[in-house]
Amino acid sequence: MARVAVTGVGVVTGAVTGGREQIRAFLASSGAPALSVPSSALGGLIDETEARRLSRICQLSVAAARIALADAGLGPGAGLGLVIGAEFGDLRSTIAFVDGYLHRGPGGLSALLFPNTVMNTMAAATAIAVTARELSLTLNAPTVAGELAIARAAAAVRAGRADAVLAGGVDEFDSALAELLAEGGAPSERRGEGAGFVLLESLDTAEARGARVLGEIAGVAWRALRARPYGVGRGAASRAVAAALDEAGATSGEVGRVWVSASGDGPRDRWEQAILEEALRPARPPQTALASRAGRHAGLGALAVAAAALDEVSRGPAVVHAIARGGTHVALVVRSVHNG
Amino acid sequence: MRRIAVSGLGVVSPFGTGVKAYWNGLSAGACAIRPVTLIETEGFRCRIAAEVPDGFGGSLRRSRADRLALAAAREALEDAGLSRVERAEAALAVGAVGGGMLEAEAWYWERFRGRRPPSRPTPRSMLPFSHAEALGNALGLEGPRETLVMACSSGAASLALAADLIADGVVATALAGGVDALTRICFMGFNALKLLCPEPCRPFDRDRRGMSIGEGAAFVVLEELGRARARGARIYATLAGHGMTTDAYHVTSPHPEGEGMVRAMAAALESGRIAPAAVGYVNAHGTATPQNDRIEARAIHEVFAPGRLLVSSTKSMIGHTMAAAGALEAVATILALVHEVVPPTANLETPDPDVAFDCVPRVAREAAVEYAISNSFGFGGQNVTLLFGRA
Repeated sequence: MARVAVTGVGVVTGAVTGGREQIRAFLASSGAPALSVPSSALGGLIDETEARRLSRICQLSVAAARIALADAGLGPGAGLGLVIGAEFGDLRSTIAFVDGYLHRGPGGLSALLFPNTVMNTMAAATAIAVTARELSLTLNAPTVAGELAIARAAAAVRAGRADAVLAGGVDEFDSALAELLAEGGAPSERRGEGAGFVLLESLDTAEARGARVLGEIAGVAWRALRARPYGVGRGAASRAVAAALDEAGATSGEVGRVWVSASGDGPRDRWEQAILEEALRPARPPQTALASRAGRHAGLGALAVAAAALDEVSRGPAVVHAIARGGTHVALVVRSVHNG
Repeated sequence: MRRIAVSGLGVVSPFGTGVKAYWNGLSAGACAIRPVTLIETEGFRCRIAAEVPDGFGGSLRRSRADRLALAAAREALEDAGLSRVERAEAALAVGAVGGGMLEAEAWYWERFRGRRPPSRPTPRSMLPFSHAEALGNALGLEGPRETLVMACSSGAASLALAADLIADGVVATALAGGVDALTRICFMGFNALKLLCPEPCRPFDRDRRGMSIGEGAAFVVLEELGRARARGARIYATLAGHGMTTDAYHVTSPHPEGEGMVRAMAAALESGRIAPAAVGYVNAHGTATPQNDRIEARAIHEVFAPGRLLVSSTKSMIGHTMAAAGALEAVATILALVHEVVPPTANLETPDPDVAFDCVPRVAREAAVEYAISNSFGFGGQNVTLLFGRA
């Protein structure tokens, strides 16, 4: 089994856009929450043709992927896989496609918009932009899709099924989605938007090419806890945290920090606290919730993994933890070069 | 390396509910593509599709796709005879695209027309992950849970990823498959792309004019082979390997040389350590678009010598069932191994002279095949090949 190195990171979010240096600065600051990505964030990352041809969510994804590759010191090329998590996909294009029909009948349908209604459109656009020709996965999950994608990619690298994988997620949030969620009775929480990727390689490969290793994903696990669809469960016995720690060869007492998925959805946030308390007790490591500054979206998984890898303070490995309504539950154990 | 057994099958197809109805339809070379009844089709060039007939049950409070998935998943789990405890540990991988969009569209249409919409869709029922949540909750599946959205290769990818979880020792068993109900968006989109044929599709026919859409669900129980044998499970086949590649070429069109398809098939053979000559049957992606069939045939030719290789398209009988296609066609491939009968390509009247294979026109063929592959290729250049071996 290969050890999994994090060798690059790229994020495009309302709160921070950039690679490891920008994220380091962001973590050291205490700015106000910023949930929307300003159009200026994409400047220089998307060319004119792409700006015209790609939907906004695809642009977010392509931009973050390019930052992560540059941060890792890798050019586009063969041998690269891609695992993207998303919750909503390109809902904006989907609505535009449907509205074309409703307003003008069959003649109003756009053949160009239709592919965007399928949630793997971000993976398709990103794979083309960075020439990722190996496995390309799109994972759909509520709120934890980014963490799930990184865990799945880490498992592929660990098992030797992939040499290098861009893993993370992307979500777009706008008024149409907010309205839809509200009408659908979704819980109130701090939603954001953006994209984030980490580049994962086997440690041997990374060291052989002289990569600047940020940290190591030492253990991953994802499971489901019993809950009604989109509901919050009562059980707090987590097999994911225990399995991830076991894979990492770490104990709950060694955990230096937990990066949690709390986002202002009260019942879900309380469920997460109960899970962590049971999984880590008697230890109570400090926690950080990045959603409080960047809003909850699928790009946040990469930001959390990078933040854990860049941690120069904690004396033990970090757990990046995420639980979704419905019970999908992810844990990643991340060692930084400082606490590994 | 842990070997993977297929120990349970479940299907809801345009031939009806259950594996038996599915195999009866496939082996008879029947075509279930008929005029669409579920959605409005006025004004469209193509007005046919392969719909699932009533009888698959489930509460009407659930989306049609959820009900299709539940019926197929239940059949697969019961077929495998997994205990409640075994289910609780099992992984769940679901290939999905449309989610509960059929119902969300009905709501959105009425809302647009200023009428009082029927019950509003919720995020949980509209998005692809809704099926995994419904299945996990209803069937007590608490292992790793994933929803794969990889366009037309989603169902096949779910089997591949579930097999990886077993091979890596994460779980001992997994329920994997795909589901899609007919949706307006899908029907309108493929009409807009001018990829649909107004008549039932004719894969690998010289005069093919495009695809037909379908719907359905299929699930399989995958299990570590030694464990399946130890508990006396019926083993239908082994999932001997898989390959997943990306064209990185175009959002909707496949690479013109089929380069990614070739790599996917080669990777499946390599992961199973199987020589190309050992494969006797290819269940093709076979959409019946002029472009796909030509490129896929070329790719198959590059990987396999024509020889005695049989190639057929399940889509000729049940249409392109989108996210369910890879799983439904995987089950067709498994059943071909079990029954030693290769299902035909329905509606194939005049074989395309550029296709160098026996595409089993119209009538099923008796053939005892040791290994067979199932190809699934999706928008975004997402290629998945599954390799199955006889039990």
